[in-house]
Amino acid sequence: MNEIYTRNPVIVLREEFDDWAVLYNPDNAEAVGANPIGVDIWKRLDGSKSIGEIVGEIKQEYRNVSESVETEIFEFIEKLAKRGLIGISSTL
Amino acid sequence: MRMPRELDIELTAKCNLRCKYCYFFENENLDYIDLTTQEWTRFFDELGSIGVMKVTLAGGEPFFRNDLKELIDSIVKNRMRFAFLSNGGLITDDIAAYIKKTGRCDSVQISLDGSCAEIHDVGRGKGSFAGAIRGLEILKKYGINTPVRYTIHHFNVDDLGNAAKLLLEDLGLKSFSTNSAGYLGNCRKNADEIMLTHADRIKAMNILVDLNQKYNGRITAAAGPLAEAKYFAKMQRAFDENAPAFAKGGHLMACGCYNNKLSIHCDGGISPCTMLPNINLGFINKDKIIDIWQNSAELNQLRQREKIELAGIEFCNNCDFTDYCTGNCPGLAYNLTQKVNHPSPDACYRNFLQQSSAL
Ligand code: SF4
Ligand code: SF4
Repeated sequence: MNEIYTRNPVIVLREEFDDWAVLYNPDNAEAVGANPIGVDIWKRLDGSKSIGEIVGEIKQEYRNVSESVETEIFEFIEKLAKRGLIGISSTL
Repeated sequence: MRMPRELDIELTAKCNLRCKYCYFFENENLDYIDLTTQEWTRFFDELGSIGVMKVTLAGGEPFFRNDLKELIDSIVKNRMRFAFLSNGGLITDDIAAYIKKTGRCDSVQISLDGSCAEIHDVGRGKGSFAGAIRGLEILKKYGINTPVRYTIHHFNVDDLGNAAKLLLEDLGLKSFSTNSAGYLGNCRKNADEIMLTHADRIKAMNILVDLNQKYNGRITAAAGPLAEAKYFAKMQRAFDENAPAFAKGGHLMACGCYNNKLSIHCDGGISPCTMLPNINLGFINKDKIIDIWQNSAELNQLRQREKIELAGIEFCNNCDFTDYCTGNCPGLAYNLTQKVNHPSPDACYRNFLQQSSAL
């Protein structure tokens, strides 16, 4: 919750159809799909906010998101971190 | 898709060879000039800014450029991967090491059209076999992926077995791909001499099907005799079984490459495909790729091509196979008929059957 993540600068955000996107790592040709909320999270991972803050912002912005959104955000962030798309820059 | 995924780029109009069946030279739609380093790097910056994932660098011969390292640096800086299409002859240890170090190179495809100089050099000129093998060995030394493309023509059909042995057994490649000399560019001048006759084509199909069995499918093809042998058999089976139409059948579908990528010619001209330089969509650094991709009337019209029914085209009148046919490559269709919205007569199954029965 307190970790502050930042994007790996080599990753390319390719917005494809209807706000869905692909996060592409040219160093290993891996691509991760992202839905519109995923894209929004990606854009917020700029090294200035903690995960907790981002979850709060998303919940506020998308009023009718499901209860499970918090878990989904954590899972998404975990996936990005595991694949080297983001890294922890500091902790609150 | 909001922007193209990939671009095919003819980086130079220069080549160390003059192959008899080269699709690139002798094309009246191209200006054979080279753009400067700055013109290319400016363009790569634009590609990077819109999220293009990969560029395939061809020519001419891309290794002819003496600013290649600078161009590669620009591609890497702009977060793209890259691949090359090459004849192999100008590849050095120095450039191979440089490419390897980037970690961004998918492959360097080498053209090899025979198992020995006597066969390969017939189509590509003296010394070209030695160059291709030297290039392959250098790339192998640096662990760079090197797919090989064998272009089948009148003089190398009978060598297919030896070539498969050289590539798959002696050189230990995982696979190699095949196509055949097509009626494009320089090949049009030498068509009678070099292109496959109908008898050659049937022979190539039979040899390739057998070889592929022997080598467990390690020979591939997106076009040419092997691809046709497979696709024609599938069409015939479907017809015999009165099968429902194929998902892509009945319309001018072809490969649909213009939904994924664009081509840039040596003079900076932008086209939907390398095979369609006659359709000019603009020029790099003058017209924006994203505008062309999203708004070009010509490109959007080409994308509508797949709605055209084969049954409504005069060439396909009363054909039994329309439901299973995709009309094939629009580039070849244009070169043979001067029409883009037309099937390619070269890859037409009905034509193939008619010619076979006339043999
Ligand atoms: S086919 Fe390739 S190697 Fe041969 S002349 Fe054309 S560009 Fe050069
Ligand atoms: S005539 Fe040829 S191109 Fe037309 S549908 Fe039949 S097989 Fe296909």
